[in-house]
This record gives sequence, structure tokens and C-alpha cells, in this order.
Amino acid sequence: MRKLNHFSDLESFRQRLQEKRRNILSTIIIPNGTCCQASNSSAVIQAVLKEMAKQGADKNIHMHLTGCHGFCEQEPMILFEPGNIIYCRVNPEDAKEIVTKTLKNGEIIERLLYTDSVSGKKARTEAEIPFYRAQDRQLLQYNKWVDPRSIEDYISIGGYRALTKALDSISPKTVIEEIKSSGLRGRGGGGFPTGRKWAEARLAPGDEKYVICNADEGDPGAYMDRCLLEANPHLVIEGMMIGAWAVGAEHGYIYVRNEYPLAVQHARLAVKQARDIGLLGRNILGSSFSFDVDVARGGGAFVCGESTALMASLEGKVGEPRAKDIHTAREGLWNKPSVLNNVETWANVPSIILNGSGWFASKGTKGSKGTKIFALTGQVKNTGLVEIAMGTTLNDIIFNIGGGPKGRKAIKAVQTGGPSGGCLPVSRFGIPVDFDTLYETGSMMGSGGMVVMDEGTCMVDVAKYFLKFLQDESCGKCVPCRIGIDRMLEIVTDITEGRGTRQQLKLLEELAETVEETSLCGLGKTAPNSVLSTMRYFFDEYIAHVDEKRCPAGVCKKLINYNIIEEKCNGCGVCLKSCPHGAIKGKKKEAHVIDPQLCLRCGICVTECKFDAIAVG
Amino acid sequence: MIQQVTLMIDGAPVKAAKGSSVLDAALEHGICIPHLCHVPGLKDTGACRICIVENMKNGSSTITASCTLTVQEGMVIRTSTEKIQKLRRNIAELLVAQAPNSRAIQDIAVRCGVKEVRYPFRNDNCVQCGRCVRYCAEIWRANALGFVGRGKNRRVEFPFGIRPEFCKNCGSCILYCPMSVTPCGGPMKRGEERLCGKCESQTLMAPGVVGACVRCDLGKGFSCSRHMQ
Ligand SMILES: Cc1cc2nc3c(=O)[nH]c(=O)nc-3n(C[C@H](O)[C@H](O)[C@H](O)COP(=O)(O)O)c2cc1C
Ligand code: SF4
Ligand code: SF4
Ligand code: FES
Repeated sequence: MRKLNHFSDLESFRQRLQEKRRNILSTIIIPNGTCCQASNSSAVIQAVLKEMAKQGADKNIHMHLTGCHGFCEQEPMILFEPGNIIYCRVNPEDAKEIVTKTLKNGEIIERLLYTDSVSGKKARTEAEIPFYRAQDRQLLQYNKWVDPRSIEDYISIGGYRALTKALDSISPKTVIEEIKSSGLRGRGGGGFPTGRKWAEARLAPGDEKYVICNADEGDPGAYMDRCLLEANPHLVIEGMMIGAWAVGAEHGYIYVRNEYPLAVQHARLAVKQARDIGLLGRNILGSSFSFDVDVARGGGAFVCGESTALMASLEGKVGEPRAKDIHTAREGLWNKPSVLNNVETWANVPSIILNGSGWFASKGTKGSKGTKIFALTGQVKNTGLVEIAMGTTLNDIIFNIGGGPKGRKAIKAVQTGGPSGGCLPVSRFGIPVDFDTLYETGSMMGSGGMVVMDEGTCMVDVAKYFLKFLQDESCGKCVPCRIGIDRMLEIVTDITEGRGTRQQLKLLEELAETVEETSLCGLGKTAPNSVLSTMRYFFDEYIAHVDEKRCPAGVCKKLINYNIIEEKCNGCGVCLKSCPHGAIKGKKKEAHVIDPQLCLRCGICVTECKFDAIAVG
Repeated sequence: MIQQVTLMIDGAPVKAAKGSSVLDAALEHGICIPHLCHVPGLKDTGACRICIVENMKNGSSTITASCTLTVQEGMVIRTSTEKIQKLRRNIAELLVAQAPNSRAIQDIAVRCGVKEVRYPFRNDNCVQCGRCVRYCAEIWRANALGFVGRGKNRRVEFPFGIRPEFCKNCGSCILYCPMSVTPCGGPMKRGEERLCGKCESQTLMAPGVVGACVRCDLGKGFSCSRHMQ
């Protein structure tokens, strides 16, 4: 590959690529991210490729393998352009029909179209699918046009234009002003104003500065950073380059979670391609700007995502946080000024530079601008990655995009922000989703996890789950976090097992406050949120556990009993056969009974009984 | 010449060398902020959180450990507000419930005003203050000890669990370990752990001035920094 030596080289290269692409008549797009591969997309790709070759359709039809398209539940998907037709849940066996009918004759296979989970109607295009319609996909929209392994794809859709614009005509200071007035805030959890961080690093004394991309993403259930880096690595790199230009850094790191091999692979390849073409290295495009990036693998712990722990880990030390009374923007990696931003934060930068801060600031609420990607999971019909303008209500996300409850039970709460966040009840679903409102309501934006819970969820049990996670993930360095979380878990476990007292509830609250106020790093400071928010909104459930020794949702095993309702049981005997503990007795055609002494509360009988005859309470 | 900055600690103007910590500045002026993991001359890590203070800025305050907080001109620090006393008491309670088998820990609990322990006692033999690890690494440059594991499983260990040849058996780790000071009434057996409270009289603390340093004898045992000056 010939190196590009000037801004105009990049433009003419882009024109040549676009020229070439104009000749492509139709494109078949198959998303193939980590999540897609988990639903067997690779097999579908193989089958379609084979079929295309067999039927000679591979000459004039372009096949495009991209990152995740967001609607993970419907994968493997296939998209067709032009026309924006979407097929869902495709099997390898469908390949033949797809090639003969759709690719060669433009015929649509009804059976493979998306069926709306609410109305039952078939939908052909993205615009007809409610899951996509209610979103505002500013960052995710590119995924379908780029093969993450091809820098040419990225350049042909206008990639690196923001960089040349900045290098060519905007001074570093103005770039920072632009980011400041766009109102961009960090997407990694804290919501710190990005422009302010950059300005601090720019003004900090020292020639050696760093920019770092935080792709450690350890929140259980969150995967938007993985998706972005996997699907569009050049977007993130371009953002980092603009940041480096603004603060005066010549070196950058992408710190990727160890469990994300495909993201590492794509990021490394992207860096290599950018280097080969002269977009990374010395005197980029003939300018005075020099910059290069290394891709590092994470230390394999949740706490390594915390800024100081991440930097310690990059330095080759144990990934433990340290006191941060001086910002890392002044004293960060190797005590040098360092700008650490989340993947999604970096990904937002190029379009702000291209379209102007006013464009970005026109979306969102007073204190939170732009769009945000959430990983919508749990008890909703449609799960996947959801990008919405800040300020969209929880109701919109959960009922319009998410399609409402998955099962028969009503939705009761949503957990946002991962282990640092909290649970909000349905009565608060009217709030606009932005940094400040979520915080005031007792939860957090976090990195964007959103777990929907229905009436079958016990909120005390949810608190216990997150405490357990944090107990394992706390680095253990400071007392309030290491011992405090452990003691909170001890109390909550007591409550879920019927030993809880009113005094313990008071102690729990006091302890939560202590851990929040005095822990060293963000992990400990936010750890009590799950407890505090569930106590705030679902105190009646705590009281039921403590006073009545009852779990209203029927989840806490020590507090529930299984009973067969005589009137509903017709004595089919299925439960008797399915119970692994031999706890069910009864004669054929007569009502059966469960022996509470033998019953281990596994719940298998409930799922097996076809007559809803087994009550939990 | 050493550059100095002036800051306010509990209403008193205090001069301190630029770059020193708020805890050092306070101790030097006789304001005792209770502390555990801090050892003069070793790098502070902010592990025990006993030394927390309120750092007042623009009308609001942040709570942070004073041993890792660097002094700055015009800083306003409160070491013993009601809020701090309560939080410190709660941390000390967590510590003494976890590792009651030490006079140093019992002493800290008393100094921080712990009157009852609301958690079931455990009998850990290490509070992970990291004094031993840092002393070994920073003074002797031996690195014969280190932390392994994380969260609940974090503990002090020799490399690979075996005492290395380069450990000179100097005993500093034991000298500086708060857990090596037995409680006045002798070691506490499992099941017999309690809040001892005997040292209360020795610290001669008037109620309300929790944390005020009286150069009590107790600090000698585990090399409280006041006794090393
Ligand atoms: C325990 C803990 C874990 C974190 N994990 C992540 C993470 O996985 N990814 C991330 O971007 N930020 C994470 N953060 C936030 C970072 O410390 C930091 O604030 C962020 O990367 C800054 O980037 P931003 O300003 O773009 O959000 C974590 C913070 C804490 C306290
Ligand atoms: S708050 Fe938790 S994770 Fe953070 S330094 Fe303390 S022990 Fe480690
Ligand atoms: S062994 Fe003693 S000195 Fe070392 S960390 Fe544990 S309590 Fe502190
Ligand atoms: S002495 Fe400051 S945190 Fe332990």
C-alpha cells in the first residue's frame, strides 16, 4: 500500500474507492460480531458463500461481513442493499432459497422477515421494525457499511475526514473549545465533561502526554464498547487521534478487556492498516502531527477499568486503584498527563468535529448531550443494543423499543448502570434518561447496562447478586470496600434467609453510607447503590423478608414453600416423575402433595406442571 | 530552601512543606488524626481510611484520606466534624469486628469512639494495612512480601508462598504489624472475641475530642507515627 503523504492524497484515495463501490449493484450484509457468532452466524456465512459460488452469484453481488447490528436476539441476520431488507434468525439451510430468490431475483422470502413481537405483523425494513424505529443510531448506523477489517470501507464512507479537518484548519485549542461547547460527557460511567478533561491535560506541564481508550468493559451484561470497537475500530482510533492532536500527545493505548479476543484482533489490524497507509506514525499526512497507538490486553478484573488501576496495569503493575486527589489528566500514566476516555466517548469525537458542536448539542437534555448506547436485556421482548438520544424516557426504551414484558408477569423495575448503578421502579419510568436525572433518582448511567425486571424478581436478591459480584471484584486494598461490602452481603444474606432483623436494616443503611463516603475508588464509592436504591423504592420487600419471613416474589429459597393446589391438580403425575428429590407423592388421577421436608425448592415441578397447579409462596 | 504552603486545619493556620501530606502536617502540629496504615518514611497508600478528613472547597466538602492528600495553599481541612467522627467510628468498628485480636486495633476502635460492635466477630490475623509489605520493599528493597489475590481473598504472602533466600529475617514486618501486639488480657480465642475497651482510660480522652493525641502508651506497640518522631 502506498503511503498517503498529504490531505489531498486521502481525498483522491477516497474518491477512487467510492468510484469502485458505485459499480456494485447489490450488497448482502451479514453481521458477524462476537454475539452474532454465538448465534451461529459463521455457519450461515459459509452456507451463503457456498451457495453463491454454486449458483454463480458471486460475481456481481458484493458480500459484506460487518460487526453486530444491535438486535442481538434476532441474530443471525442478513441485510440486503439497496432496499434495506432484513432477514432474521436465518439458518444455514435457508442459504439456497436466499440466493435463488432474493439475491438473483429480488424476491422477498416472507418467512424470514421479522415478525413484530407486539402486533404480530411482518416487517421488511429497519424503518418498519419498532426496535429500530424509535432509536437514534448516530454511532451504530455505520456498522452496517464497514467491514471492521477494511480501512478502505471506513475511508469510503468518509472516514478520517474529521481528522484532516482538524489537522488542516482547526487549532488544538479550538478543538477543545468545540468539544467543550458540544457538551460531550464521558460515556464510561462518571459523565465527566470531556472537554474539561482535555483542557486540563493540554495545560498540564510536560512534553510527554498520553491518550488512552478504556475498553475494559467489565459490567456484567454490557457490551456496547465491545460492539463499537469490534465493528468500527477506525472510528475509535480517529477519535483518539483528534484527542491526541488537541492535548499534544504522541502516543495512545487501547486497553481492551482480556475476554474480547475479536475486539483485540480488529483493533490491532486497524492500527496496522492505519500505520501502513500513513495515518499513524510520524508526520501524519505530511502534517506536523505524529501519533501512534498500541493495543494492550486488560488485566482481567472489573476494577482494572477504573482509571488509576488501568494505568497501573498498563505500567505493568498490579491493577489496583490509587488515591486520585490529583486528576490523571495531570498525573496519569507514568505520572504524565493522560487523557483516559471510554470507547463510546472517543467514537463521538469525529462527528462532533465534522458536524460542529451545535449539531451534537442539539440532541439531548440540558446537562447531557448527544446519544447513548444501552445494552437492553432482561425480561423484555426485544433485547439488544439500543442507541437513543439522551432524554428519551425509560418508558420509551422499555415499552416502545423493548416491546414490553417478555412473559406474563408485569415489569416492575429496571437496573441501570451495572454494579455501580441502582434499581428504579415502574413509577419512575417517566424520567428522561440522562446523567443527572438518573443520579438524582438514585441510580447511575454507568456504562449503559439496562436490565429489565418483572414481578418474578426479588429486589433483595438483586441487591445480593450485585454485592456478591462486587465482593469478588473489589481489589481488597481499602477497608470500607473490602470489609464493608462483605458485611453488607452478610446482612443481606441474613435477610434473604430469614434471619434478618429491623436493627440490621438500620445498620445496613449506615454501613452503605460509610462505604459510599469513605472508599478509595469509584468501585467502593458506588458499591452500595444497589442496596440503597432497592431500600429506597422497594422497602416493603425488605420488610416482608424481615418481619414476615416472606419473599413476595417467591425467589428466596429459604423463605418459600411449594404447594400443589388441589383443585387444579388432575393427578397426571408429571411433577412426581420430574422431582429429582422424590419430594412429591400421590396416586394417579388424584391430587398430589409436596413434602416440605424433602423439597429443596429447585422449582422444576413448577415448569413441568401443565396445569399451573403448583403455587409458590 | 523548602517551599512552604499555609493551610487551615480545624481552624488553625498551619505551615507545611510543599508536597507533604495533610496527615503529616497535622501530626507535626499536634493535631492527631487517627491513622493505621501510615508509617512515616513509607509511601502512603490510603488503605485503612481511618485518617479521613473533610476537604472544604467552594462551600462543599469532599471526604478523603489525609495521608494521600497533598497540602495546597489555602486548603481548608476539618479533621473531626460530626460526620467524620461517625464515619471513622464505623470504619474502626469494621476493623475491630474483623480483627479484634490486637491491642493496636482495639486501641484504634476506642480512639475512634466505638462503643459497641454490631457485627458478628471474626478473628482475622491481618488487616491488610500493608505496613510489612511497604517496609520490606521500600526500606530494605527486599520485596520479600507482597499482596496476592483480590477482594476477600487478598492476603500477604511470600513470593510463591515460600520464604525467599533474600529475606534477611530482619523482623521489621513483625515490628510494624499492628496485629503483633497482643490485647492486654492476652490473645482472644475463637468465640471469645470482644471489644476490650480497657485502654479507654489510658488515652485520657475527654468526650468530644475523639482522636486528640495524648501520646498515649498504646501507640508504642505498633510504632504509631507519633512515637517515632
Ligand atoms: C470499578 C470501576 C470500573 C470501571 N470500568 C470502566 C470500564 O470498563 N470502561 C470505562 O470506559 N470506564 C470504566 N470506569 C470509569 C473510568 O474510571 C473512567 O472514569 C472512564 O474510563 C473515563 O472515561 P470517560 O470520561 O470517557 O467516561 C470504571 C470505573 C470504576 C470505578
Ligand atoms: S474501593 Fe474497593 S476497589 Fe477501590 S481501592 Fe478500595 S478496595 Fe480497591
Ligand atoms: S501482616 Fe500486619 S503489617 Fe502486614 S498487612 Fe497484615 S496487618 Fe499489616
Ligand atoms: S493512614 Fe491514611 S488511609 Fe490509613
